[in-house]
Amino acid sequence: MDTWKVLCEMSAMIVQCRIDDLSLLIGKALTLKEIEETLFLLKAEIESVQGNRIEIEVNPDRQDMLSSEGIARAIRAFLGIELGLKSYHVKKSPCEVIVRPGLERIRPFISCGIAKGVETSDELIKDYMHLQELLTTTHGRNRKKASIGLYVFDDIEFPITYQVEKPDSIKFAPLGHDSPMDGWTIVRTHEKGVVYGPIISGFKKWPLLIDAVGKVLSLPPVINSNDLGRLTTSTRNIFVEVTGTQRSCVDQALNIMIASLADRGGKIESVRVLYPDGTEVNTPDLFPGKMPVTTEGVVKLTGLTLSDQQVVDCLRRMGYGARIVSSGRVTAEIPAYRIDILHTVDLIEDVAIGYGFDRIEPTMPVTTTVGRLLPTTRLKNKVRDLMVGAGYQEIMSYVMSSPDIMSTKMMRDLPLVTTGNPKSLDFSILRNSLLPALMDFISRNQHADYPQRVFEVGDIVIPDGDAETRTLQRASVCGLIADARVNLTEIMTQLGFILRNMGFENRFRFALLMNPTYVEGRSATILIDDKPVGTLGELSPEVITRFGMAVPVVAFEFFLVT
Amino acid sequence: MSEQLTDGERLVLAELVRHDQRVLARNLAQDLMDSEQRVVSVLNSLVQRGLVSLDTLESELLSLTEEGHRYEVEGLPEVRLFMAVKSSGNRMGLDAAVSAAGLSQASKGIAVNWSRKNGWLDVIKIDGETVIEARVEKPVSQVTEVLAMLEKGVSQIPDRLAEGLRQAIERTLVKREVVKTYAAELRMEKKQVIQGLLAKGHEGITDITPEILTTGAWKGKSFRAFNVELEPARTNYGRKHPYAEFVDWLKEILVGLGFAEWSGPYVETEFWNNDALFVPQDHVAREVQDQFRVTKPYDHGTIPDAKYYAQVKAVHENGGGTGSKGWQWPFSKEISSRLCLRAHTTPVSVRYLSEHKEPPQKMFIIDRNFRAESLDARHGQEFDQCEGIILDRNLTLRDLLGYLSEICRRVGVKKIKFKPGQFPFTEPSVETFAKHETLGWIEVAPGGIFRPEVTYPLDIRDTVLAWGIGAMRLYMASLEISDIRDILSRNLTWIRGKYFVR
Repeated sequence: MDTWKVLCEMSAMIVQCRIDDLSLLIGKALTLKEIEETLFLLKAEIESVQGNRIEIEVNPDRQDMLSSEGIARAIRAFLGIELGLKSYHVKKSPCEVIVRPGLERIRPFISCGIAKGVETSDELIKDYMHLQELLTTTHGRNRKKASIGLYVFDDIEFPITYQVEKPDSIKFAPLGHDSPMDGWTIVRTHEKGVVYGPIISGFKKWPLLIDAVGKVLSLPPVINSNDLGRLTTSTRNIFVEVTGTQRSCVDQALNIMIASLADRGGKIESVRVLYPDGTEVNTPDLFPGKMPVTTEGVVKLTGLTLSDQQVVDCLRRMGYGARIVSSGRVTAEIPAYRIDILHTVDLIEDVAIGYGFDRIEPTMPVTTTVGRLLPTTRLKNKVRDLMVGAGYQEIMSYVMSSPDIMSTKMMRDLPLVTTGNPKSLDFSILRNSLLPALMDFISRNQHADYPQRVFEVGDIVIPDGDAETRTLQRASVCGLIADARVNLTEIMTQLGFILRNMGFENRFRFALLMNPTYVEGRSATILIDDKPVGTLGELSPEVITRFGMAVPVVAFEFFLVT
Repeated sequence: MSEQLTDGERLVLAELVRHDQRVLARNLAQDLMDSEQRVVSVLNSLVQRGLVSLDTLESELLSLTEEGHRYEVEGLPEVRLFMAVKSSGNRMGLDAAVSAAGLSQASKGIAVNWSRKNGWLDVIKIDGETVIEARVEKPVSQVTEVLAMLEKGVSQIPDRLAEGLRQAIERTLVKREVVKTYAAELRMEKKQVIQGLLAKGHEGITDITPEILTTGAWKGKSFRAFNVELEPARTNYGRKHPYAEFVDWLKEILVGLGFAEWSGPYVETEFWNNDALFVPQDHVAREVQDQFRVTKPYDHGTIPDAKYYAQVKAVHENGGGTGSKGWQWPFSKEISSRLCLRAHTTPVSVRYLSEHKEPPQKMFIIDRNFRAESLDARHGQEFDQCEGIILDRNLTLRDLLGYLSEICRRVGVKKIKFKPGQFPFTEPSVETFAKHETLGWIEVAPGGIFRPEVTYPLDIRDTVLAWGIGAMRLYMASLEISDIRDILSRNLTWIRGKYFVR
């Protein structure tokens, strides 16, 4: 919840595996503990174990490890069972996919492949579907950028056409249904249609894949047809199709899917895609990418003193092809399913992982700098000490609050920074003052012992059209007393003690204030050097009642001025 | 022990004499208008003097839990399910019945389980559909009766409802607590001594006054005894919030390690929050279900540094000369200038670097961040993050592990191990796991080296190490808090009773 992983945690993905199946793929019997330790060093973690079933958490950068096959592939290399680049042979097939004009702005790209002689079983088919689902969720951005379909190859008449069609003229039985539906019915009523329909429903015409005799393969990226798109245990030859909005993203998803099917015994064949502008592409292209890396670069970033050969060895343990081209220079061959290698630093990290994070000795550098708190923090601490000395209990509240607390109950109408996608009204805006938050706090504590003297020092946020982020964030302090009898003089005396000890002797004064939050004639503006910085007073009975309380309250709040 | 009675002892003893029989400490306290706790403490000292005998009686107190109270009002889930089935003619599809009964998915299981156990309903399959069927005319539940009695304030549940009570306790609808009652009695054989002690009256000086001191009137006199062995009364004085004290402690450690504190705005442009950190513009974490968007009164901010913006844009689109492939996707200024509540403190680290490019630099921040979540025991819309960066020449991954080890050691974590990690803005990345006595290995400190895609646009070529600590997680572990809502608790009594001692 609170770590640095805000951006990543939510996208960490769980892969369901079976231990016996995984061991078979790894080709070596490992104990659960050995699997766990190996995975840990490969960025993955065992999430849970139930009998033969294990759930493995994989980081979203390793999309190639989103299947048992991918995990086994990584473990095999890491443990030296199969070092270096794993090559996949791709045979050319006569099959073609023709792309018709009209998809340019909708979903222009398609890449396909064929896997023949793939092992299938009820569990394996579920696994393939699971991989497809995981890949399209993160890498495919919930199918917006790329979506995958698997089909019974033998039932398809080639060539396939990828074209656009009006929703009304689209008619086929979607997966899981026996009778045909039109496009709109699918999008409005089918479980997947409701979720993924919005990706295409804004367009006049929708993408459609049909075969040579007019049978529908799918309505990308929504749903396959029940006819061609349902794999069974008797399916051996699988046709894979990926459509999407970015060419590289589409190819990468296909490569990962195809590599998994190849690891399950599939012989891979390519498909020729013909685009309307005359371009022809053969997919999948499993040819490895190349990237140079210098030993010096590795040493500089990791701090590990490695030789050229050691760099090569580490890379090979991570499934790369690697060789020394000249002294200090290594070339890495990147498998087509490794889609996370953007920069040499990504390779260097893999060298370190190949070396083993458990073997890296930490060093303590001597970067000499002077530590210090911000002046605002020191000021906040000073005021906190004074408030404690005056007998107040410190409170910490949420920065987010509701318009009801900030404005309505307070009989105020000061501008608020408002969010557009709150999960609840209670936390939908940023506080523009601490006093309402403290009022809310004491209203929730009417059973607690009185007197209640509470304070908070914290930041408040005020809209400001001239600022870079359109907000002004200011440190504020608020003190409040609730008791059967409260005394304005008492809190004024305490406020005087605080202001004088902050160094404002002879520089502050109070001026009569008219404000519906407070009782008329019993509230004041706090001025420092004649500039208003806050208010104090007895809370109006109307405000107290709106907070559902029946206890008198006096309070002050002012900005901390540095 | 003094021969004399203290004032408190005198009062309690006199009251016992007046009753002249066994009396409950609670009643004594009422008579004396004092707390029971204090009276028991006085009685204990009278027991030590051998004047009084004190018996401790344990009795049972039954009360409804929140869930029990709810069921008392709304009806037990199994009863509601049964009534729904009954009112639709004894047979109904399971899901239809659940929704007709207005039950949540969470109570569905409870309802089905208990109605079957009680023999009220049968679950059968008809044509593949799960259907439930009523087997009795009326749902007779002892639990309902027990809940109703406790709600009315009945303290003793009759024996005929023992089974219902057992079930209600097992289902945590009723809480059973043991309360101690104290009964005191004068010791008959000491009656004379007691009379004597009480008859002696007050002796000695009560208060030392300036007058007594100047006149020397105290000389040769004794002072009236007080019971100094009493437990002091509880009261509330001014004090700091325990979590604030924890944060102060973390800051002290980091300042001690040479880190300078920095801050940044809660409301950020997505430029700083995401783009500058090389988070792709279509990353799932940037969507509305995860990140708060600010829409009023302004929804977009400005990006003041045009040159820096151009470099970040180039890095995203094609790597911008950093040697990276980039995201190969058009970069949108509309998205970049959009306002959000910052999702992490890392934009502040980048803001710091944009103003402090010359090594050496060490910066830290502990502050609030926001995430579009509902507030419950395990999630919150706000969380604090503690993070720091180190910029210097020739820093390496080994140095990063060194800092992580040192910081962990200083916050009291003894045993750690490292796992390679992944964050969009660092490479290599690492996660630090700490060995916790009861929780096992827990993740405490992520870290990494800022990617060139992050540092090059800032014109920084030196290595920048970055690390974080799960500040709230560490706090929860040290105070044994399991509910996130207790960190910024809105319960004054709870806060008054919690303390953080380093």
